Amino acid sequence: MRSLAAILLVALPIAGLAGDRPARYAGLPGGTFQSALRYEDAKGGVKVEPFAMMRKPVTNVEFLAFLKRHPQWQRDKVPKVFAEPRYLSHWASPTGLGKNAQPGQPVVWVSWFAASAYCESLGARLPRWNEWEYAAAADETRTDARKDPAWRERILTWYSRPSNEGLPRAGLQAANAYGVHDLHGLVWEWTDDHASMLVDADNRKQGDPETARFCGAGALSMDDRENYAVLMRVAMLSSLQASDATANMGFRCARSAP
Amino acid sequence: MSLRSLFLLAALACSALAIAQPPKARPLPGDSVYQLALPLTTQDARTVDWRSLRGKVRLVSMFYTSCQYICPLIVESGKAVERQLTPAQQARLGVLLISMDPARDGPAALSAVATKRKLDAARWTLASPRKDDVRKVAGVLGIRYRLLADGEFNHTSALILLDAEGRIIARTETIGSKPDPEFVAAVREVTSR
Amino acid sequence: MRTMLPTCSLLLAAVLASLTVAGCSRDEAKSTDAPAASADSGGSAKGDFGPAQGTPIDAVLTAPPNVPPPTGRTAPAKVIVKLDVVEKDMPISEGVTYTFWTFGGTVPGSFIRVRQGDTVEFHLRNLPESKMPHNIDLHGVTGPGGGASATFTAPGHSSQFTFKALNAGLYVYHCATAPVGMHIANGMYGLILVEPPEGLPPVDKEYYVMQGDFYTTTKYREKGHAPFDMERAIDENPTYVLFNGREGALTGDQALTANVGQNVRLFVGNGGPNLVSSFHVIGEIFDKVWFEGGTRFQENVQTTMIPAGGAAIMDFHLEVPGSYVLVDHSIFRAFNKGALAILKAEGPEDKTIYSGKEVDYVYLGDRGQPNMKAVSTAAAAASTGDLTVEQQVAAGKALFAGTCSTCHQAEGQGMPGVFPPLAKSDYIAADPKRVPSVILHGLVGPVKVNGQDYNSNMPPMSQLTDDEVANISTYVLNSWGNPGGRVTKAEAAAIRQQKPGNASEGH
Repeated sequence: MRSLAAILLVALPIAGLAGDRPARYAGLPGGTFQSALRYEDAKGGVKVEPFAMMRKPVTNVEFLAFLKRHPQWQRDKVPKVFAEPRYLSHWASPTGLGKNAQPGQPVVWVSWFAASAYCESLGARLPRWNEWEYAAAADETRTDARKDPAWRERILTWYSRPSNEGLPRAGLQAANAYGVHDLHGLVWEWTDDHASMLVDADNRKQGDPETARFCGAGALSMDDRENYAVLMRVAMLSSLQASDATANMGFRCARSAP
Repeated sequence: MSLRSLFLLAALACSALAIAQPPKARPLPGDSVYQLALPLTTQDARTVDWRSLRGKVRLVSMFYTSCQYICPLIVESGKAVERQLTPAQQARLGVLLISMDPARDGPAALSAVATKRKLDAARWTLASPRKDDVRKVAGVLGIRYRLLADGEFNHTSALILLDAEGRIIARTETIGSKPDPEFVAAVREVTSR
Repeated sequence: MRTMLPTCSLLLAAVLASLTVAGCSRDEAKSTDAPAASADSGGSAKGDFGPAQGTPIDAVLTAPPNVPPPTGRTAPAKVIVKLDVVEKDMPISEGVTYTFWTFGGTVPGSFIRVRQGDTVEFHLRNLPESKMPHNIDLHGVTGPGGGASATFTAPGHSSQFTFKALNAGLYVYHCATAPVGMHIANGMYGLILVEPPEGLPPVDKEYYVMQGDFYTTTKYREKGHAPFDMERAIDENPTYVLFNGREGALTGDQALTANVGQNVRLFVGNGGPNLVSSFHVIGEIFDKVWFEGGTRFQENVQTTMIPAGGAAIMDFHLEVPGSYVLVDHSIFRAFNKGALAILKAEGPEDKTIYSGKEVDYVYLGDRGQPNMKAVSTAAAAASTGDLTVEQQVAAGKALFAGTCSTCHQAEGQGMPGVFPPLAKSDYIAADPKRVPSVILHGLVGPVKVNGQDYNSNMPPMSQLTDDEVANISTYVLNSWGNPGGRVTKAEAAAIRQQKPGNASEGH
C-alpha cells in the first residue's frame, strides 16, 4: 500500500502540488468487494483493482488554480452543454472566490464534465463507483466497518444535518484506515461512472418485470437495505445529468495503479 | 482529451470556415452537443470528428454490436422513424449510431451490422468513439450505461433528435417498430424546414 | 374462537340496524351492482335457500394468485372441498428457506369459492409426513369454532364436517391449533369466497393476494434457513411482511398481469398473525372496495385497511400501461420487510390521462445562497489571531458540527455504550485540559464517564490545526453544563508536543 502511494507520488509531479504536505493521494490495495448494491452479474462481489485516491475532496483554491490554467472552464466561458447556469455561482467572480467560498472548503456547484476535466488535467480521472464505495466502507481503524451499527449511525448523522450552513474545510475530519478523509460527512462526490447508476426513478418498483428501459438485466437494486448511506448516494448520483451542479456535490480524483 | 486543444481547434475551425462556408460561420451554440470534440471511427474506417456532422438534422443513439436484445430494436426504431417520412424529409435526416463498446466495435463489426441490416450508407453512420470519450458522449446525450461482468452492457435505449446545430430538440425511449408519434412529429417538423 | 361468535352476532345486528336507519333517507337509490341501499341483505337469517339440489359438486381449488371461476349457479348445491395440510420448506426470500405449514401446499392456502346457501362438505386431510396435528377455522362458517374442533386432525388422518354457507362475503380461514399464533405465523391461512346469490359483477381479471407477517431468529434476507422466533412474534416485530408468503412471489416474472382497458378485481386477505395492513396500489385508485369483505362497497378509495383475520375485495379499471406496485402503506414494511408486489399493465399509452415526466428544469428556489452568517462563522474558525472566548465558542461550534458531532452527537450527548458523552461530563470536569489532549492524541482503552464504562477507540485528530483544537475545546468547555474556561492556540500547540495520555489516568 505504502509503496503504491510512493509510486503514484513520483508519477504525479504535476502543478507543484507536493510542497510540504503529505502525498495528495492515498494508495488502496483493492480486492474483491461486496457492494451494497445488488449486481446480478457479480453476485460473488465486485473486483476492485489497486488504485490511488485523493486524500481530500478538491477545494475551491485548487479548482481556482485549474481555472487559471484552463480558462475555458471558467463559468462565463464554459458551454452550457458541459455545465448548467449555476456552475460555480457561489463564487464572487469567474476567477475570484469571495466571501461565500472559502479557499479550504471543498468546491461544489461543479458539473461532472468540469470535475472530469480537472482530474484529466492532472493525468488522473474521477473514481469509479466501486472504488468510491470500497474506500468509503472504512472507518478510522477498520477497512470495512459497514456491519457496525454505530458506524452506520455516525455516517447517517450528516444526512440529518441541514445543508444551509457553510461547509467545513476539506480534511477537518480524521482520515479513514486508508488515509482518506471526508468520504462521509462533507459533500456528495461525482464518480466517473455516475451514469451507470441505472436506478428506476421510482425506487419502489424493485422487482418490476419491465426490463426494456435498461437493456440487459434491468434496474439495480439494493442488496443491503440497511445501508441507507449508500442508498442515498446512489439515488443522488442517479438523479443528475452530467452537466448538473448542486450545492453539496463536489469531487476528488483517482488513478489506477501504474 | 486535451480540452485546451479542443477549444483551439474549435476556434480555428470556426475562423477557417468563416471564409469557406458562410452558413457555418455562426459560433456553435453553447447547448450544442458538438461542443464536445469527438473523433469517431466509422463503418468505412474513416476517422471524423462528429462536428463535421453539423449542418444536417441527425437522429442519434448509442448501441453496441454484440448486443442481442435491445440494440437490434434500436436500429429498427431508426428505420421505423424513417418510414414515417417523405423521401424529401428522409434526405434531410442523417442517422448516427454510436457504439458504447469501442474495444470490440471496430469498422469490421460496424460494417457487418450495416450490411446485415441493409442500412443506406448515404444516410446511416455507425461509429465508435475513443474509449475515454464514451462517458462524455453519453453524458451530452443523457444516456446511462453500465458494463457488466460478462461484457454486455445495461443501458438506456433512447433516440435523440439533433437539429443542424447539434441541439437536442426531441428524445424518446419508445423503442421498436411502432415509433412514438410525438417524436415522429418532431422529426417531420425539423426535416421540413 | 368459540367465545367470539356471540359477540360477532351482536355486532352484526347493531351494524345491520344502523344501516337500515341510514337507508331510509335514500330509498330511491338504485344500484345494479349491489343490493338496493334501502334494504339489508338479511344476513344469515335469510341465507338459507333450502336443501342442496342436484348432484354434489367437487369444488375447484386454486393456488394463489389464481381465483376459481364464478360458480355460475342459481340454486343451492352440495359442494365437496378436500384440503390437504402440508408442512414443507420453501423459499421465503432469495437464498432463504423457511419451514411453512400450509393448506394445499401454498401460502396462502387454496382459494375456495362457493355460493351463499351452498352446503359444504369439508374434508381436512393431514399428510402422514406432518409433524403436527392441525385443524381449520373458516370465518365463513356459522357454528362454534368455525369448524376448528370438528377438524382437529392428527398426522396421517382426515376429518370431515359439513356446514351451510349462510352469509355472503370474503372470509379468512386459518389453523386454530395451539399455539394458534405460531400456526398462523407459519402460513396456515387462506380465503373462502361465499358469493351472493346474484354473484359478483363480472370483471376481466381476478387475483388472490394475501398478506402475512413472519418472525425469524435470523435477520431480513440473511441467507440460509430461517427458523421461527416465538419471542419476536410475541413482540409483534416481524422480520418479513409478505404478500403470498415469499418475497418476490408477485414480482419479476411472477408479477400479476392485465391489459389497459380491463377491469381488475383483487381478493385480498390478511392472515396476520399480528399486523393490520394499510393496503394500497401505487398509481391506482380503487373504483370500488367491498371493505372488510362484506356486502357493500365504498367507491374511490386510495388505501383500505385490512385487519389481521380479515379481507377486502377491490375493483379498478386500468387506463394507462405501466407497473402498479401493491404495498402495505405502513411503508417500511414494503421496502424493508418485503410487502411489495407488482401488477403489470400492458397496452397503449394515453398521454391525456398520464403524461410521464414532461420537463426537468432548473429550480432556483427563493434563495440561491447558503446561510451567510454560518459561512462567516466557518471562515472565522479557520482564522488565526486573537479571538475572544465568545468568538472561539462560535468558531468551535461550527467545527464541532463538521467533525466531532458524528460520534459525540450534536448536543454532546454521545451514543450510550459506544461514544462517551461530552455534555455535563465528569471526565472533563475532573481535568478540562483532557479535552485538547484527547482531541490531539486520541483515546484508547476503558474509560468511565458519568458512571458508564466505555471502551472504544478514538483516533487522534491530528489533522486539526492548533486554532481549530483551541476553538473546539473552548466550545466544549463552555457548553452543555461543562465547567467553562478556555484553551488557547499556544496551549493547543504545547499539548500537541506532549506524549499521549493514558485513558484510565485518574480512575
